[in-house]
Amino acid sequence: MQRSEIEKQEASILFRDKPYKIMSKKEKNISGLEKKIKIELDNFTRELETVKNLIELDNLRTKYIGKKSFLIKTLKNIGNLPDDIKPIAGKKSNTVRKKIESDILIKEKIFKNIEYENKLRKEIIDMSLPGRSTAAGRKNIISQVVEEIEEIFIGMGFEIAEGPEVETDYYNFEALNTPSGHPARSLHDTFFISENILLRTHTSPVQIRYMESHKPPLLIIVPGKVYRRDYDVSHTPMFTQIEGLVVDKCINFSNLKWTLETFVHEIFGKDRKVRFRPHYFPFTEPSAEVDVSCNICGGKGCRVCSGSGWLEILGAGMVDPNLYSFVGYNPEEVSGFAFGMGIERICMLKYGINDLRLFFENDLRFISQF
Amino acid sequence: MKVTLNWIGEFLGAERLEPENIASVLTMSGTEVKKVEYISDKYKNIIIGRLVDFSPHPDSDKLSLCEVDIGSSKLNIVCGAKNFKKEDRVAVALPGAKVKDITIRKNKIRGQISEGMMCSEMELGLSSESEGIMILSSNCEIGDSFSKSVGLDDVVLELEITPNRPDCLSVMGIAREISALIGADFVVPEYDLQKRLNIDSKFKIEIEDYDLCPRYSAKLFRNIPNIKSPQWLKNRLILCDVRPINLIVDLTNYVMLETGQPLHAFDKDMLYSNKIIVRRAGKGENIITIDDSIRILDDDALVIADEDKAVAIAGIMGGKDTEISENTKNVLLESANFYGPSIMRTSKKIGLRSEASNRFEKKIDPMLTVFAIRRFEDLLGKVANFKTEECIYDNFKKVERERKINLRVGKVGQVLGKDIDAGLISDILTNLKISNRIKDNIIEATVPSFRYEDLQREIDLIEEVARIYGYDRLDSIPIPASDRRGKYSLYQKTIKDIRQALCDMGLVEVINYSFISAESLKKFKINLEDRYKNNVKILNPINEDFKLLRPTLLPALMKNIKDNINHNIKDIGIFEISKVFKKNSSGKLPFEINTLGMMLTGKAVQKGWNEKERSFDFYDLKGILDFICKRYYPSGSLKIKEKQYRFFHPRVSGTVNIEDLEVGIIGKIHPVIIEETEIVQDAYYMELDMDKFINNIKETKKYKFIPAFPSIDIDLAIVVDNKIKSEDIVNEIKESGTELLKKIRLFDIYRGEQIEKDKKSMAYSLNFRDDTRTLKDTEIEIIVNRILENLGKKFNARIRE
Repeated sequence: MQRSEIEKQEASILFRDKPYKIMSKKEKNISGLEKKIKIELDNFTRELETVKNLIELDNLRTKYIGKKSFLIKTLKNIGNLPDDIKPIAGKKSNTVRKKIESDILIKEKIFKNIEYENKLRKEIIDMSLPGRSTAAGRKNIISQVVEEIEEIFIGMGFEIAEGPEVETDYYNFEALNTPSGHPARSLHDTFFISENILLRTHTSPVQIRYMESHKPPLLIIVPGKVYRRDYDVSHTPMFTQIEGLVVDKCINFSNLKWTLETFVHEIFGKDRKVRFRPHYFPFTEPSAEVDVSCNICGGKGCRVCSGSGWLEILGAGMVDPNLYSFVGYNPEEVSGFAFGMGIERICMLKYGINDLRLFFENDLRFISQF
Repeated sequence: MKVTLNWIGEFLGAERLEPENIASVLTMSGTEVKKVEYISDKYKNIIIGRLVDFSPHPDSDKLSLCEVDIGSSKLNIVCGAKNFKKEDRVAVALPGAKVKDITIRKNKIRGQISEGMMCSEMELGLSSESEGIMILSSNCEIGDSFSKSVGLDDVVLELEITPNRPDCLSVMGIAREISALIGADFVVPEYDLQKRLNIDSKFKIEIEDYDLCPRYSAKLFRNIPNIKSPQWLKNRLILCDVRPINLIVDLTNYVMLETGQPLHAFDKDMLYSNKIIVRRAGKGENIITIDDSIRILDDDALVIADEDKAVAIAGIMGGKDTEISENTKNVLLESANFYGPSIMRTSKKIGLRSEASNRFEKKIDPMLTVFAIRRFEDLLGKVANFKTEECIYDNFKKVERERKINLRVGKVGQVLGKDIDAGLISDILTNLKISNRIKDNIIEATVPSFRYEDLQREIDLIEEVARIYGYDRLDSIPIPASDRRGKYSLYQKTIKDIRQALCDMGLVEVINYSFISAESLKKFKINLEDRYKNNVKILNPINEDFKLLRPTLLPALMKNIKDNINHNIKDIGIFEISKVFKKNSSGKLPFEINTLGMMLTGKAVQKGWNEKERSFDFYDLKGILDFICKRYYPSGSLKIKEKQYRFFHPRVSGTVNIEDLEVGIIGKIHPVIIEETEIVQDAYYMELDMDKFINNIKETKKYKFIPAFPSIDIDLAIVVDNKIKSEDIVNEIKESGTELLKKIRLFDIYRGEQIEKDKKSMAYSLNFRDDTRTLKDTEIEIIVNRILENLGKKFNARIRE
């Protein structure tokens, strides 16, 4: 039988108009019992309305469905009823009992909620008090910017290569088209460890090392510390560079432009203009310097950009074919581009820092700003 | 390098040079213009006046009252100088003019009105000293602007010349470059360079090594008139930052600035004989140069000598003895070409750079020597009305200075990513004075002598085409797709993650110089530790602080905490990930070890409304160590082995070991060092070899079944001697606990009244579990009893009642 039909049947039993006599002397028939149960339910429903708290509710529970209540007693004695009315009486009493139970439970939930609410209202804390302290750690600004740049290039398919900070003259100069006596050497004031061993003056030696041990296609960037023998307001003897190198079958200058424009827009914002200017580096040909439009004056010219409206941020160019002969590539088969930038300068432009020395003084008041 | 626009204009067939436009085309073709300086702005409101009359100042012996005609009116000016007479033309600064950064105003001087100022050369920035006011030529037009009248109506461009363009280290070179850029004619004086060459042998030039001196040209000038340089010549030198000295020296400098060929003038009468020898210096040979310094040379250096001694360091600086003086009558003019790398080496060795050496270093064109002498003659003729038809001596080794290069038109497109028409390429080269002809998509080009060093290959010509065509006209095209895998390596990722984790734990990342002083190593007694011996030395340090490459990060971090404590930041947790260095066998690159250094000092927890103040201690540092070890070595055992380092507290000093691999050191900085450093608070330091730490990580993560059966927790408190180490107790418990014992955790240590002196109570929580069944209490009881028994035997431990 479907549940709805059972309910219908129960309802018809409860409110049957013709009395059906059995059971006790007083209430021998089923209609008497029905009446009595109906009265119990009516009484309960009326009293439930007046209940004010959980204790009263508990009393009500005892009164109507407690051990000594009419309903429970009726249910207990059901076995003594004649067989023909037994199922009807049982069903009926049980239905009412369940109804009372569920009404009480609903009421009980309401009272409990009110009680909780009243209790919790008294549990006052001052939410304006400071939270329990956790120490504020901070990545160094240089690491932050290096990682930001790494992620931009990783997104373009680059890998990250590294190399030694102490280098041979060969990798730092000679294999980069800068043999002894080359005029470009005087631009790099070098720290020497011995006649042929030095602190690398740029991250470019990694270009050679990487090409020696890898075949094209290759797309790498190389972050790292570099050293020059210069120490004044605008020079520190150690600073940070990121080098880039792309070599494949048909890489051209337009690819270089796209790559660096994309990079500049990612790191400085899409609204900044990028300018490529011819320049000279011994290991790229053609070479370029890359400027980004000054954000202070919007390109009109100001003190920060020395009136030019442009800020120089990158050196770049097509890999000089001579380099391929040092690493065993065929310059007629492959081509590529390389670029390099100073991280401290990028940081200074990005955050408006005006003193290079701050980067290595490790004043926590500085580091913690970024 | 500085050049003036008027000077450049002398070599260009263009009517007018717009300064901003010239600056822009130069910058965008590779000669960066750093600054454009309008000289006439400096002389605003300074005009030519005529001294009408003057009389003594009534209240001063030194001052005069002058009446000056400036064309439109007559001014009264009080003047302190005496070197003038009536009708003199003078430079008058009117009210509003700026002289030496002071704005001139109309005012009263000792009661007399002064409506301006008559300026001296020094005040006008034309010399470093002067006596009296500047008296100008009577040709000067009254009322004209001063700058126009004396040729200072000019614009100075400050240029950055790249090392590959020695031809641009001159006014003519820049003019030639501009002519290619704006399409104007390049106009040079035409001299017959073969005329009068070696027509007599009265003077001899001997070159010992043509590799070091490919060419030496010279000329004798006899009875040069002793006159001063004209103002226009001095002005141009001044605008280009060269100090005027005397006519001969000024002319050599002028010709050098103009042509790029350094000249040197000797006082001929001070030379020993009629012979110049270009030779290497003898070892230890010395010479006093014109800057009054004694220069000691070695046999690497090239000198110009007479038959007695060296009279100049070739290409760098002349000698004092043969310097041009006021009394010089006869001059030997040298115009030579020296080998760049040799000049560079010597100039570096003796620490002397000059305008000349800077040019020679970049390898200038040997074809310039005779041209420069002719230019000098020409100018001397104009300035001093001095004519000479004497011999020009010229000694050289014949060298090839013309180069043919084939440029494939297709290759240009390949390199630049844009096809450029052959005709356009040809025009660009022609404008650059590179003669060429197109033949079957190949351009046969002939590079002239002045670009010989720079343009050697096809790619060099492609660069020329690109920079003149304009980088801004080239396209922007994505890199063609190929085999790309953009990602961090495991090593790089681990470093990045550790850095992030340490920051998340509240540490601040510092970055210090890689250098350290020997003094600093000594101060921390690092030099006495074998671990840190064999330091890498810098041969040419900036100073003592930068003498060595650091073998440890400790001193730098100590300095960081001290500096910050001085700024009143006292609670510090810092770390650095950098390389440390160790000497390798000779000839090899040093070892570079990527190292994590970490230092804690001050308070771990500040006193707060709900927190108790607590200082950092050893276990804070070890906690961080535990954390990173557990992350990368989830099942590896971390062990601190006691080992004494002199910079650590003798009892809080050890090595960090993971699975028997030593990866670092940890400890408390020795209180004596703390005291000597004047820090007055404890500091804890740890150093990990990141290479070892990361390269030993084994990726062995594998899924294990989540336990299906309940575990049993037993708390066990034992009393042992104070000296007993927790680690030993734990090991013993592990051993006796069978494989059912899954976890041990120390949760309390107690020392105090309830137990004997010199003893401690250690409370451990033990967790037992079997993956295949539910454990019975009784079997655990047996195991625990055995543990207790063994602890008793081994450590004399007893259960705490």
